[in-house]
Parts: sequence; C-alpha cells; structure tokens
Amino acid sequence: MDYVTTLKILVIGESGVGKSSIILAFTTGDYNASFPATIGVDYKCKVMEVNGLKVKLGIWDTAGQERYRTLTNSFYRDAHGAILVYDVSEPKTLAKLNEWVEELQVYSTKKNIVCLVVGNKIDKPRAVPREAGQAFAMKHRMLFIESSAKTQEGINLAFEELVQKIIETPGLWESTGSSSNIRVSNEERRKQEESSCYDYTCTI
Amino acid sequence: MDDILDEVVSSEDLQKFEKVFHEQLHQGKVTPKAQFEYAWCLVRSKYPTDIRKGILLLKELFHSHTDGKRDYLFYLAIGNARIKEYNKASHYVKTFLEIEPANQQVLALERQINKRMEKEGLIGMAVAGGAVLALGGLVGLGIALASSKK
Ligand SMILES: Nc1nc2c(ncn2[C@@H]2O[C@H](COP(=O)(O)OP(=O)(O)OP(=O)(O)O)[C@@H](O)[C@H]2O)c(=O)[nH]1
Ligand SMILES: [Mg+2]
Repeated sequence: MDYVTTLKILVIGESGVGKSSIILAFTTGDYNASFPATIGVDYKCKVMEVNGLKVKLGIWDTAGQERYRTLTNSFYRDAHGAILVYDVSEPKTLAKLNEWVEELQVYSTKKNIVCLVVGNKIDKPRAVPREAGQAFAMKHRMLFIESSAKTQEGINLAFEELVQKIIETPGLWESTGSSSNIRVSNEERRKQEESSCYDYTCTI
Repeated sequence: MDDILDEVVSSEDLQKFEKVFHEQLHQGKVTPKAQFEYAWCLVRSKYPTDIRKGILLLKELFHSHTDGKRDYLFYLAIGNARIKEYNKASHYVKTFLEIEPANQQVLALERQINKRMEKEGLIGMAVAGGAVLALGGLVGLGIALASSKK
C-alpha cells in the first residue's frame, strides 16, 4: 500500500442531481446520459495525489430517492468529507439541500468534517445563479464549486479542493502508514495528537 | 473495504429497524417500508441466520409489492452472495440485468460475485490438495482447519 491514508467521502443530495454521474466522471472519465437511480448505497475507490501525498478515497454514493432517506444516514458516520450536490437547472434541489445539511449535522461524527457544495449540470440552461449556490455554501461555511459531469468541467477540481482541505485540517484524519515524510509534513498535527490524545494508536 | 459485499450493518441500525418491524408485526400490519428497512439491515448483517431471514422478507416483498422490485432484486443478490449462495446471487443479478442491462452498479456487483466464486474455487482446490497429503485421521483435521481459516 503506497497511500498515506484512506479518506471517507460521502456524496448526498436529491435524486437526479448527478451524484453518481459526478463520481463516474471522476473515477473513470465516462458519462452516461441515462444513468439509473442508485440503489441504496454504492461504493467506489480511487487513489489520488494531493500536496505530494497519495491518498485513497473511499467514495460513498448514496441514493437520493425517498425510500432510502432513513436508511442512508448511518453512512455519515466517520466521514472525513461530504459533497452536497444540487442541479443548477432545478432550483428546488438547492432549497432541498437545507434538509441534507441538517442530516449531516445530526449524523456526522467528525466535528470538523469538510463539506463541499457542488452545483452540477452547468452545461444545461441555468435556473440557479452562481451567487445563490455560493451564498448557500458561505452560510454553512462550506466550499463551493460548479460542475458538469457531462463535460467534465469542475469535476477533478471539486475532489482536489475537498481532499486538499481535509488534508490541511489538523486532527481530522490519521495516517495508515509510518513513512517518515508524512511526519515531517504533518509535524503540527502529530504534536497535537501526542498532546491531546491518550488512546492514539499507530496502525502500521 | 474494497467492495460493497464487505459492508456490514451497524448493530444500532439493525436494532432500530428490528424494533419498528416487530412493533408493526404486533399490531398485525407491517408496511412494505418497515419490512424493507429491516430486511435491508438483515442482509448486511455478519450473521448468516440474519441474512437468511432478510432474504425471506425480501422475497415476500418481491412477490407482494410491485413498487420497489429493482431494490428487492438487488438486495436479494447481495444477501445470497454474502452467504456464498453464488448461483442464486447470479440468478438475481441476471434477472435485474434483463430489465436494466447497462446498470453500472449491478454490473459491478456481478463482477464482485464472479471474483469471489473464482477465489473460493481456488481455496477449495487447495483444501483438496492438502487433504491428499494428510493421511488417515489427519484428513478430517486438515479440512476442519482449512475451512475455519476464512
Ligand atoms: N446535462 C447533464 N446531465 C447530467 C449531468 N450529470 C448527471 N446528468 C444526468 O442526470 C441524470 C441523473 O444523474 P445521476 O448521476 O443518476 O443522479 P443521482 O444524483 O446519482 O441520482 P440518485 O442515484 O437517484 O440519487 C442522469 O440521466 C445523468 O445522465 C450533467 O452534468 N449534465
Ligand atoms: Mg445515484
């Protein structure tokens, strides 16, 4: 294993906004014009490099359909990052994100989880101004980006920004290896862990 | 975790949805929603008895409730794969793919099932090989050891 840590990334939002399409675009570069609704929860891995560190992402793609609403919130546990997706051509999907933010507040267990709001489908005629998405993200102190899974625009950037922020957040993640360069680049984090955490165990 | 078949339900979830199901059962009317939620937890349990129970509940839903057939089929495949009933799991996957041939999520599940069948086929051969070497009373022990090593 040549990655320093595994990060759990959760993708949430209304059905049809393009969660699975964004993940497909990011992991394979493909696009499917008639993507079927996700059943329950899907899982994809991808190793990516940020700040010279290789990290493994475990991406949890949740179904936005109503029948899974009460079932998927147990997947919020231990997530390091969350991507909240809306569709820029459907204003109600942004309004609905409020409910997902509430769920996130109730069910996520890491208090400094990094969140990113994504306005998807910018290739389509827009019904939500960029500023509205930006204001929403700002209000909840989340990152913001617009994307199109169809044209790939913004897709890689979205994951890069999210993972970068997670890596820079002290105490949010733990390294899975013992390679020395991690210790140097995370000197601060390590110090903090040593001073405040009694049950800190190094998993080698 | 590498694929969805490794994912295990938390005991809190299982208990939570079990409680709802049993309450409705006592009142004599179980909604498809409660039955599905409980079954969804059961098939993701680490205990085969739970999984089998989940499979029964899903089958019942599949035959009585038209609304969520694709969901029921998918979790019937997951449940069967998790108790190593790979032939049944493949059957459900194929039935699903007849309706949605390009479904990525289900195609990925099919690959995972095939991978496990292959892997466990090889393990089976290794057991047989070991048994040939071990003689007499040792044969039984060898097989017992090999099969307890998962
Ligand atoms: N034009 C356009 N269509 C998109 C884009 N992203 C997704 N779609 C389409 O929107 C539909 C729904 O996308 P999905 O990725 O399945 O949506 P989802 O959020 O995963 O939906 P659930 O799994 O039901 O929660 C699909 O038919 C996609 O092809 C995009 O950027 N542009
Ligand atoms: Mg989806």
